[in-house]
Amino acid sequence: MEEARRRIQGGSGVSAVAGVAAEKKDPRARRITALLVAPGIIWMVLFLVVPMLMMVYVSFWTQKTFTIEPTLTLNSWIAFFSSETYFGALLRTIRIWLIVLAATFFLGYPTALFIGLFIKNKTIQTIVLVLCVVPFWTSFLIRVLAWRPMLGKEGAVNIVLQKIGLISQPIEVLLFTEFSVVIGMTQIYVVFMVGPIAFMLSRIDPSLIEAARDLGASTWRIFRTIIFPLSLPGVVVGAIFVSVMVLGEFATSAALSGRKVNLLGNIIVTQVGSLKWAFAAVVGVMLTAVMAIVVAALLRLADLRKEL
Amino acid sequence: MTTILDVKNVTKLYDGEVALDGLSVELQVNEYLSLLGPSGSGKSTLLRVIAGFEMSDAGDIHLAGESVAGVPAHKRGIGFVSQGFALFPHISVFDNVAFGLRHREDDPVRDEGDVARRVNEMLDLVGLADLGDRGINQISGGQKQRVALARTLVADPKIILLDEPLGALDANLRARMRIELRRIRQQLGITFMHVTGNEQEALAMGDRVAVLDNGRLAQVADPDTVYNQPASARVARFLNCYNMFEGRAGDDKQFCVGDASFPYPSPQDASIGPGTYCVRFDKIRVAPATAAPRPGEAGVRATFITSEYSGPSITYFFEGQGNKVLEVEYHLSHRQPEEFSPGSEYSLLWSPGDALVYS
Amino acid sequence: MENRPILRSALALYTALFIGFLYAPFVVLGILSFQSGPEGGPQFPITEWSTYWYEHIFGLTPPSRVAPLPIGETLVRSLTLAFTTMVTSTVLGTMTAQAFRRRFKGSGFVFYLVVLGMIVPGVLVGLGIALVANNLGISRAWWGTAFVAHVVYTFPFAFLVMLAIFNRFDKSVEEAAWSLGVPPMRTFRKVTFPLIFPGVLSSMLFAFTLSYDEFPRTLFAAGADLTLPLAIYGTFAVEIHPNLFAFGVLTTLFSFSLLTVYGILMSISIHRAKKVAIQEEIE
Repeated sequence: MEEARRRIQGGSGVSAVAGVAAEKKDPRARRITALLVAPGIIWMVLFLVVPMLMMVYVSFWTQKTFTIEPTLTLNSWIAFFSSETYFGALLRTIRIWLIVLAATFFLGYPTALFIGLFIKNKTIQTIVLVLCVVPFWTSFLIRVLAWRPMLGKEGAVNIVLQKIGLISQPIEVLLFTEFSVVIGMTQIYVVFMVGPIAFMLSRIDPSLIEAARDLGASTWRIFRTIIFPLSLPGVVVGAIFVSVMVLGEFATSAALSGRKVNLLGNIIVTQVGSLKWAFAAVVGVMLTAVMAIVVAALLRLADLRKEL
Repeated sequence: MTTILDVKNVTKLYDGEVALDGLSVELQVNEYLSLLGPSGSGKSTLLRVIAGFEMSDAGDIHLAGESVAGVPAHKRGIGFVSQGFALFPHISVFDNVAFGLRHREDDPVRDEGDVARRVNEMLDLVGLADLGDRGINQISGGQKQRVALARTLVADPKIILLDEPLGALDANLRARMRIELRRIRQQLGITFMHVTGNEQEALAMGDRVAVLDNGRLAQVADPDTVYNQPASARVARFLNCYNMFEGRAGDDKQFCVGDASFPYPSPQDASIGPGTYCVRFDKIRVAPATAAPRPGEAGVRATFITSEYSGPSITYFFEGQGNKVLEVEYHLSHRQPEEFSPGSEYSLLWSPGDALVYS
Repeated sequence: MENRPILRSALALYTALFIGFLYAPFVVLGILSFQSGPEGGPQFPITEWSTYWYEHIFGLTPPSRVAPLPIGETLVRSLTLAFTTMVTSTVLGTMTAQAFRRRFKGSGFVFYLVVLGMIVPGVLVGLGIALVANNLGISRAWWGTAFVAHVVYTFPFAFLVMLAIFNRFDKSVEEAAWSLGVPPMRTFRKVTFPLIFPGVLSSMLFAFTLSYDEFPRTLFAAGADLTLPLAIYGTFAVEIHPNLFAFGVLTTLFSFSLLTVYGILMSISIHRAKKVAIQEEIE
């Protein structure tokens, strides 16, 4: 760094000396910065990084019936990959994640478009956003459970469809299937997609769109070349939120699948319930790996620090 | 005269870009120094370094004989008025002015009666006696400027730095605040350093004017000297009242600009070139293209474009060789306004002794 | 864009439907919470309209085979936890964001370390903290292990909110205070903090909401004493009853009334500001 900087300064005498001075200037301000960031760093290292490392470490421990011992072994890992159930859960998790991600994006984008671009009155904009957030003050577990009487065989959806004569027999596959899990997750998480996108859209300078229209660009073309690219960082943030939450999910699938749809999260919960910590740790590491790949891929699409 | 502020060889870099390049300047007690520079010349940076908001990368600053190296901003006793006024929006005008008295580290005023007395005195001085209870968003721009000044003055600083203090005001208000500022200064006898990008403001306010160029001082002198004898072509350009011709020294003791050539102002200047030949706007007279120049006069042909009337003076715009815009200013107390027809050619004439040449 | 009436109406209609989708569960909750009790189940049709389940929540019904929701204790725990989490994460978030106002070496690292807290799935944080606690022989508790896990989650949100606030903060008022002789700490207390307070409030609101409803992290980290979400989770492992729905309706109504009060307060203060502004113009 320092070397490069000096080269840029092109060797002017004064500047080179000053460059050195700049490096060690203002020790007081640096001490204050250090004091300010230290508590946060310590907290995150102790309560996030160390636990995650511990999880990786424990995944190599030996699992006894009700205990784990710190004798290193690959047994838990072998068990994971050789079991159809567990590997299947990995694939199912990825599948459901992709479906929910797509669903939240396609359902959420038009709403974000309306809130961010079409509502010019800041007060109304805030009111609509707050309307979207209010459900979060009711436990999401209760909200998830409400889908049962909606989707069940004698649920609201079937009753309505039968009343209007669209179907004669109730549809049974609505509840306790992957479908109900996807519906439940989409409903809970779609707001996390809408929020960031609406935020980015509301920052677009209207004169930009005006100018494009004056140049004769069609609505679709304006959307494709101006609006969508500028909203992309919001899409990325939203996608990260949704991905993180869906990949680690277990409550929705537990509530709406009748224990038929097992995700990686569900396996972790079951394993911990039967004190199989080492095995739970293996699944945890797998989940972390999937997460890391997904987030890294999404971050390639936009530099989030710049967007703040 | 005693020096109160002594800035020596101060250098400041931003991301490897030089903002101040070994700059030195001195300020005498009770002096008013105007610092004139275009944007990016480092003038605000200099003030920020002196105030202690930024650390210089090299050089020394002495305040009343003592180095301020390592002294944080709140212990320097330097007043600072910024362009946006930086008033505290959450408290009243009175509390804004009282803020420093109440909360400063050294010698805070504990007695509220004392605070009230001093604040009201100061609000009186700046002409805001009745507005103490107002919120900051309930007063006008000019009033904000006065509050900012009162807030700084009440703390009784050794010197006051003004960072484009009038820049956010409209022209009318700016002229009034200039007078106000001068009155306050005469009443209190405080040392001021006033940074501005406006040449008229700099010349009008300063006992001395310092012209800043690329992080260095290009000239420090009294306003008259700066105005009449800029130290360099660049200074002349900042003053914004000179027509400038780039050219070279000709064979016949003349300064050549394209096809035209002008006599040098004085024999000592002869052979300067390549360089810049400067003629002040108000030293030029306009004559019909056919009229013969008076003996010894220099001149160029130019096409009249338009004129601009500004009360005490009128400025005529001409287009010379190579689409160069030339300006001529008539001070109406000396000369009568004239009518020129747009698109026609005229001679712009001046006496060589009034011109300046820089290499 | 606003001069495309058809597109605009279509999107408005869509948004209305979308909000309907978000609120659909509440309609169901609302209807089914009036199911007859104690024999009526959590499904259609309503056998008989009654307020039995609301009375059930407050313990006003004669004992039946349906156990009362363990709301009292767990609610207090959840509120306490949410409150302490809110305070801790807002303090940490403000401090860290304040440090980010200066450029410093390693700021990129710190940024991603903090943001990691909201990126790592909750179940993993819970699992990791449980593993560490078990190995160190620390007993897990909602006020200990669950609390630190909650802050790991809410601190990044508070940090990002404060970072955005500071990005828009005009530093010159602080400099003005310094130049008046006021030291930095007192400047922060008297000038900076009052000015960033709206941001601090919203970061507190964020942290409180997230912590109050937090479930995956709490599941492994809370130990024996349950928080409210854990208690609710516990009920649907066995059998759910409409009392859960009645509770959902009550919390929603509570949120809305809080929001209404907030909205009224806001509009009053805006109204007052406008009035002052108008007076100014008349003068």
